[in-house]
Amino acid sequence: MYLIKKSSVLDIARELQKEYRVYGPVVEKETRQTMFTGVEDAAELDLNAPIPAMPPKHIVFPHFERIMSYTYDRAAKKADIRPDFDDSRKALFGIRSCDLTGIICLDRFFLGQEFVDEVYRNHRKNMFIVANTCTVPFKQCFCVCTDSGPSAREGFDLNLTDLGDQYLVEAGSEKGKKLAEKMGLAKADDSLAKRKEAIIDASVSKFDAIATDNKAWISRVVNRVTTGLIDEKVWEYIGNQCIECGACSYVCPSCSCFNIVDPQTSEEAADRMRTWDSCSYEGYSRMAGGHNPRKPVEDRRSKRFFCKLSYSQSKKYLRPGCVGCGRCQWVCPGDIGLPNVVTYIRRDIQQ
Amino acid sequence: MNYKSGICTFCGTGCGHLLDVRENRVHGVFPMQNHPVSKGRLCVRGWNVHELLNTNERITTPLIRKNGELVEASYDEAVSFLVENLSKYKKDTSDEIGFLASPRSSNEENYLLMKLARAVFRTNNICLDSDPGHRTTLDVLHAGTGMAGMLGSLEEISKSEFLMVVGIDITKQNPIIGSELHKAARAGATMVTIDTRNTQIAKLSKDFLQIRPGAYRIAMAYLAKVMIDENLHDADFVKRFTAGYEGFAASISSLRESDVEEKTGIPADRLKETARALARARSAMVFFSSGISGFDRDTISYIYNLFLAAGKVGREGCGVNPITGINNLQGSYDMGIAPDLLTGFQPLSDGAVLEKFGKEWGVKLNGAPGSSVYDLMDRLKAMVVVDHDESIIRNVSEISKMEFVAYIGAFRNNFMNYAHVVLPVSTYIESDGTFTNTERRVQLTRKKIEPAKNIIPGWQLYVKIAEKAGVKWSYGSPADVMNEIAKLTPGYASISHDTLSAIGGMKWPNGAARFDIEKSGAKAAFAPTIANFAVPVASQEYPILLMIGESQHYWHQNNLMKKTNLPLREYNATLLLYPQGYVAISPQNAKELNVRDRFPVKITSPYGSMEAMVQVTDKVKPNTAYVAYFVDEMVTKFFMEHKDVLKRGEDSTIPVRIAKV
Repeated sequence: MYLIKKSSVLDIARELQKEYRVYGPVVEKETRQTMFTGVEDAAELDLNAPIPAMPPKHIVFPHFERIMSYTYDRAAKKADIRPDFDDSRKALFGIRSCDLTGIICLDRFFLGQEFVDEVYRNHRKNMFIVANTCTVPFKQCFCVCTDSGPSAREGFDLNLTDLGDQYLVEAGSEKGKKLAEKMGLAKADDSLAKRKEAIIDASVSKFDAIATDNKAWISRVVNRVTTGLIDEKVWEYIGNQCIECGACSYVCPSCSCFNIVDPQTSEEAADRMRTWDSCSYEGYSRMAGGHNPRKPVEDRRSKRFFCKLSYSQSKKYLRPGCVGCGRCQWVCPGDIGLPNVVTYIRRDIQQ
Repeated sequence: MNYKSGICTFCGTGCGHLLDVRENRVHGVFPMQNHPVSKGRLCVRGWNVHELLNTNERITTPLIRKNGELVEASYDEAVSFLVENLSKYKKDTSDEIGFLASPRSSNEENYLLMKLARAVFRTNNICLDSDPGHRTTLDVLHAGTGMAGMLGSLEEISKSEFLMVVGIDITKQNPIIGSELHKAARAGATMVTIDTRNTQIAKLSKDFLQIRPGAYRIAMAYLAKVMIDENLHDADFVKRFTAGYEGFAASISSLRESDVEEKTGIPADRLKETARALARARSAMVFFSSGISGFDRDTISYIYNLFLAAGKVGREGCGVNPITGINNLQGSYDMGIAPDLLTGFQPLSDGAVLEKFGKEWGVKLNGAPGSSVYDLMDRLKAMVVVDHDESIIRNVSEISKMEFVAYIGAFRNNFMNYAHVVLPVSTYIESDGTFTNTERRVQLTRKKIEPAKNIIPGWQLYVKIAEKAGVKWSYGSPADVMNEIAKLTPGYASISHDTLSAIGGMKWPNGAARFDIEKSGAKAAFAPTIANFAVPVASQEYPILLMIGESQHYWHQNNLMKKTNLPLREYNATLLLYPQGYVAISPQNAKELNVRDRFPVKITSPYGSMEAMVQVTDKVKPNTAYVAYFVDEMVTKFFMEHKDVLKRGEDSTIPVRIAKV
């Protein structure tokens, strides 16, 4: 454990800039909206900014990217395939624990199973992560219900906790430790670990008063979601409100579904584009030949919450798929963000 | 900061977004959280806008047709070619030349095109692609209140106690407005939907009145009658603020309950309940479609009169709210894209107005209104078309006979096949421009990337065309164009690119949230109505009423949506299931015909026939059928025979016979 003066905390980002492209929370001037984005000048970074509108997922899994291009020589019947991987060195500075948990879920999905996703692996392989403890929750937060905050326990190289006039800097990896040593950060007294625990406890105790938008006692519904013992009417009620915009998947730190398209760039050449996809879209679950096992919108909705809340899915992520950031509730035109869905299912259980 | 704020330009809602712009390309999109309309939401179209903005199907160079082939040319050559050809038809009273403008162009572009037509090429034959629907609505609202736009405000939906949704599949057409309605209903507002189909918003409403096709007019009239008969109308409001009430009340007094029940298919008691709830609510709004599937004049008049009698016009949380399906439909009328209008609904026939414009433009203008391009189709010799959706396909036979056709647009489209010259323009993120949404909100969207090499924005193209035609326009930017618009247009007087720089822009007139009856200065007049309550009836020979509507991710064979991937796939989800398009029929009719979902059927009308697959759904009532108005093959062949019917908008119904193939 180390310490850094509050006024110098951005020096960590500056140090990282020597080797990495640094991404972090920046408040967009015109809209006052926090975006997690790449910066040229570390002074733009704001560790006190509200939780970013969009999780940093887009840095390891972009909204829309070219993953390869190819040309086909008709005469020679030969295809030339050129992968287009982005293995640039990236540092995520000031990521919140919910979003870091999302990236851990993505890691387990893209890298931790039988097949490794090369596109994702390249984005992810040269990465440095600096997490930021939430000493105060925001109004939409419920990470205490999903065991993903308010402070990160794994997945970071460095973790920052605001102690008032200075930040506690914990190293979570050799890479992190090296950086702290290189910067010559002051060693922290072991007693500060207790102080950090107290700060986290205080943060948790503030959820009742501050994080009032959402509550999601997911532990109460996991069993039902897994076994499917939920009245169809509940899903219909939820499905009726789904406008099929895809926003819940797009803003979810752990949603990993994508679509592939090959737009032609000339007679013989095409790009392969990968874009985010969403289970709320009807075309998402349609099979070749036209059959759609999940045609009604409520069937597609139940699938989403199975993905976020069932035991079966949790085995893949080694935790629930929901990380408690509350963004799906923000962006949902239909008022069926995950916390509300949990409420409806609990209501059904009670009845 | 690579996120640049702007406005989504798919539909008339005008949601705020942030585009992820890097290396002169758009890499993604995110909703703007503190935008007054969209409040951090986008629909499937808005969430995938980067797919459109990265399409390979842009027009990349000016083209001139030589020996039947389109050949690459410079702007200079193509503009000269255009001007030479148009000049042949340049006469004050010419009905040989016409301009078909686009409801997707920015205000600045449409204003300059309008000026080009009237001041440079001396014709008033300029109109909008796609529809007369919104114009009809504006005529009614303008005649009644002096405001040619939505009387209410989207921001006040949450302040309204009673929400009426009439004949609009709003969660599909303008999803974010649908979301606002849904949220207001969840917060306690009473929402009632009156529609021929059981739409999503119908399911989300407290009450859904499924009406027979073509009976909206009589239903609205009856709601007003119930209110008046039970003395629930706002008598004080009517006395203080309105004119023409007695005439309206008398015109509907003859309505009979039994007739209403039979024609609407709705029990009179439920209509009565609705009328009472509307009257008792402290505030109420009505929403209806105002695009190609808009209502006829009489229906709109009854809707407006109903709300006027209820005292639900010109007050907080109140309003008669037409919803535009296309992003700048309202702005296009504001810019005078109509044969008989100048900007801000100022009539061309008004001598003082004409003189004001003539003086500013330095020309003597012709005050005789022109005609709609559609009315002149078989007489036009030359036509200039901007950014057209593919519904133009309906007029292919006339267009192929024209001597000269010019196409101006950013994206490739079938229309290029009929053009003699093609002039590319940049997209909305490659230039500054303003767009006016369905609630009169004028919003500025800034240039975010450099256009592809050699491509110029529309406003520069129009300046170039004017210059070639011998008229020097001295605009240095779209902001200069807006300054001229503001000077000539009372409602836009305080609007400039500077005043629009804040999030959400500014509503006309001059920032007013909505029509305000207290400040209006004149009495609101009841709209004249014709007591004609005939409804389309099916005959023994043609027993099923076919309705024509829009479909979820596509509307009007939308040229833009076809250039995306995910929204296109969603469209294909329907098209793959129903390759020739579909006709939705009720389970009862399906049983009678002995067909199941996806069985082919033949649809025969008195004028023609087509084959399509059936979609069996309880969304439509027995003996009615619904066709989504978006499948190229169906619309072209079958509906060409029904152009007159289509003009009637959402009221369009065609009696047909359906048989198993």
